[in-house]
Amino acid sequence: MTYRNLRRSALLGSALTFCAMGATAETLRWASTTDPQTMDPHAVNSAPVLSFLNNIYEGLVRRGQDMSIEPSLATSWEPLSDENGWRFTLRQDVTFQDGAAFTAEDVMFSYQRASDEAADVRSWFAPVSEVRVVDDYTIDFVTTAPNPLFPDSIANFMILDKDWAESNDAALPARDAENYATMNVNGTGPFTLSSRDPGVRTTLVPHEAWWDDASHNVTEAVFTPIGNAATGLAALLSGEIDFIQPIPLQDVSQVEGRDGFKVLEGEETRVIMFGFGHEHEALLYSSDVTDTNPFTDPLVRRAAAHAIDIASINRVLFRGKIEAANQLVPAGISGYSETNQNRPAYDPDLAKELLAEAGYPDGFSFGLKCTNDRYINDEALCRAAASMFAAVGLNAELTTGPVRDYWTQLREDDFDMYLLGWSPGTFDMEHPIRFLLHSQDDEKKLGSWNFGNYSNARVDELLPQIQQEIDPTARQSMIDEAVAITQEDVAYIPLYTQPLIWAAKDNIDLTQRADNFFMLRWVTVN
Amino acid sequence: MVYFILKRLIQSVFVMLAVAFLAFSLFRFVGDPITQMTGVETSVADQERLREDLGLNDPFILQFGRFTGDMLQGDFGFSYRTRQPVAEMIATRIPATIELGVVALLISLLVGVPAGVFTALRPRGIATQAILMTTLVGVSIPTFVIGIMLIFIFGVQLGWLPTFGRGGTVQIGNWESSLFTIEGWRALLLPAITLGVYQLTLTMRLVRAEMMEVMRSDYIRFAMARGVPMRKLHYKHALANTMVPVITIIGLQFGGVIAFSIVTESVFQWPGMGLLFLESIRFVDIPVMGVYLVVIAFFFVLVNLIVDLLYVAIDPRLRVKDVS
Repeated sequence: MTYRNLRRSALLGSALTFCAMGATAETLRWASTTDPQTMDPHAVNSAPVLSFLNNIYEGLVRRGQDMSIEPSLATSWEPLSDENGWRFTLRQDVTFQDGAAFTAEDVMFSYQRASDEAADVRSWFAPVSEVRVVDDYTIDFVTTAPNPLFPDSIANFMILDKDWAESNDAALPARDAENYATMNVNGTGPFTLSSRDPGVRTTLVPHEAWWDDASHNVTEAVFTPIGNAATGLAALLSGEIDFIQPIPLQDVSQVEGRDGFKVLEGEETRVIMFGFGHEHEALLYSSDVTDTNPFTDPLVRRAAAHAIDIASINRVLFRGKIEAANQLVPAGISGYSETNQNRPAYDPDLAKELLAEAGYPDGFSFGLKCTNDRYINDEALCRAAASMFAAVGLNAELTTGPVRDYWTQLREDDFDMYLLGWSPGTFDMEHPIRFLLHSQDDEKKLGSWNFGNYSNARVDELLPQIQQEIDPTARQSMIDEAVAITQEDVAYIPLYTQPLIWAAKDNIDLTQRADNFFMLRWVTVN
Repeated sequence: MVYFILKRLIQSVFVMLAVAFLAFSLFRFVGDPITQMTGVETSVADQERLREDLGLNDPFILQFGRFTGDMLQGDFGFSYRTRQPVAEMIATRIPATIELGVVALLISLLVGVPAGVFTALRPRGIATQAILMTTLVGVSIPTFVIGIMLIFIFGVQLGWLPTFGRGGTVQIGNWESSLFTIEGWRALLLPAITLGVYQLTLTMRLVRAEMMEVMRSDYIRFAMARGVPMRKLHYKHALANTMVPVITIIGLQFGGVIAFSIVTESVFQWPGMGLLFLESIRFVDIPVMGVYLVVIAFFFVLVNLIVDLLYVAIDPRLRVKDVS
């Protein structure tokens, strides 16, 4: 059947479902703001794509409901004995959705595909020097240095079938033009694609021969992207969809106030923070201090941190749904530094004292750059922060803009202070140290999101050791040291952990995972 | 006549080129496509390589030349966001937008013209004042507010109509139509009304003004004096003369309806070209934005041409010139 025919029959199917009004209650219709750009698991490293495709494809390991790593296509893994790297023992009797058997050759092929220049996920394999197929169900990933976190870091590395990809001319991810894997799938996961109309509707059905026990009762899942938040809310309240992720904070009471609906709240792993232009020689947007950059002085950065009143921001802007952050990952993430849990308290008087000590008793003005469509209430947050800064004499000239040209501006050093949200892709503290705290180093691909180029020789020295240390206690003490240094330096001002707000009909049971991924295999329609 | 049409079509090529040029010179300010195409973990070097491969480092004139050159050869390129062929993406979205626009236009004409005639013939009636007041409110509220209000009243509170999407569609060749199923019409109603409200008000006021003007003209007075039946007088003689300027304005507006259905499409998640354009802006999908704007320019030119032809059909005076 062609893709168009499939689509028509799916439309007919859903039309019938609609007429039957709940007779086939196992159809789940859900919406989110962004359509996955592609069905190719290696082409785009973005949350909408990875979240969606985790229902179809699987990795060697996967994350459980609490984000812990558990066996998936690999049943076990252990460090190699005579060299650096890991040996994965693969699950037997796994079949792809087209019926082909899963073997180590498929893992090898997927590795080559995902680490190719055309793949957007290739950074995951930067530490890998060689991959060897030992036998049909054993494969070795050799790394250049000891890498205790490697299995955790490839939870989203999805395996596709070698023969399927090669026979359909999809041996490499599509980068410029589409290929077969852009619109078609063949994974080992619990669901498979039954129709796809990009940007309009995508339908999934269970993969009957899935190796794991299906705990869900979904017989068909229909996904619709709805970009407009009000439309999404209306679609939920009118009963046309069963579940939506996310909903805006201000709509929570609307949903809670109605019978038959519920709001699911959690903490995302994303920490919102302010960053500084550590390396800038002068302020760009100041009207009074133009020849120097006060933010190079840790006292000034500390003053700025003491000026922020998180409790008020929480109460006024977030209805009490945020958790104040003290480091670049929230508590509960591996590597979180228990010994550094204090954050600069809200203390405007101390802030003024610190500014005076640094030589700015009357404060100064500077430019604060923020997004207005990237994080929850980002613009409102920055307005609030600007007035809090102003109260201690730091007059922030606020500029907000859409995220689509925000990163370019930051990369061009066009800021004095900026807003950033960071979710650790590997769910380990090493991730923000690598991207946000290590000095910018394009050669080694480190510090690529450290826009202000915070640089500390000891932190740079610690990072490779943290990456390679096998002993958890020794590793943690190095992380603790790095966190302590960066807190002392006020490299960033961590503000809070962003809340995660989904809404669903009462009869839908689902799991809200901290990475904002929606897994159909945990859904029950009652 | 053939020469006239040909001339206009050749003109349209220049219009489209001009639009493409303007659009292209603005794209640089929309944002950076590369950061939208790659994940956070993608290294700066890989980003640069992609930028180089896509030709984004080339001078503006070179990029523009490549775009127009490919277009003239019928190659519309591939989307940065989905990697699909742009021609196919736009082609699958055109039916939704056209159907929405046409139905909105029909609603505005079917309601607007009779209402205009009615209010012109009874200028002081209470019903007339009520209609005029209502439409004034309709035209002052922004489209998205009307859309959201309709959704919450008819979709959420009353539950009569769907709140988003196209409902049931039927595939006829390459044209995906919602005009052949009840579900399709149910889904079409609210967005079409939302999109048509402004048109409706405009049509009604225009018809009313023109009609009142015509009713005061000499030939109507003479016809009245001669005892031509009022019904025939109103609907044959007066209305026909009223329609000439009305058709021009409505026709020209229709281009705008198609082009600016973006807001309505976004509010109703209506999968037309406008929604595609909006998504493309978010991802800085330059190929799609470029082609969309050129297609819209072509629509405008086409609509203007049709208006000119209709003019000739309605007004006999123009036909005489054409014969010579």
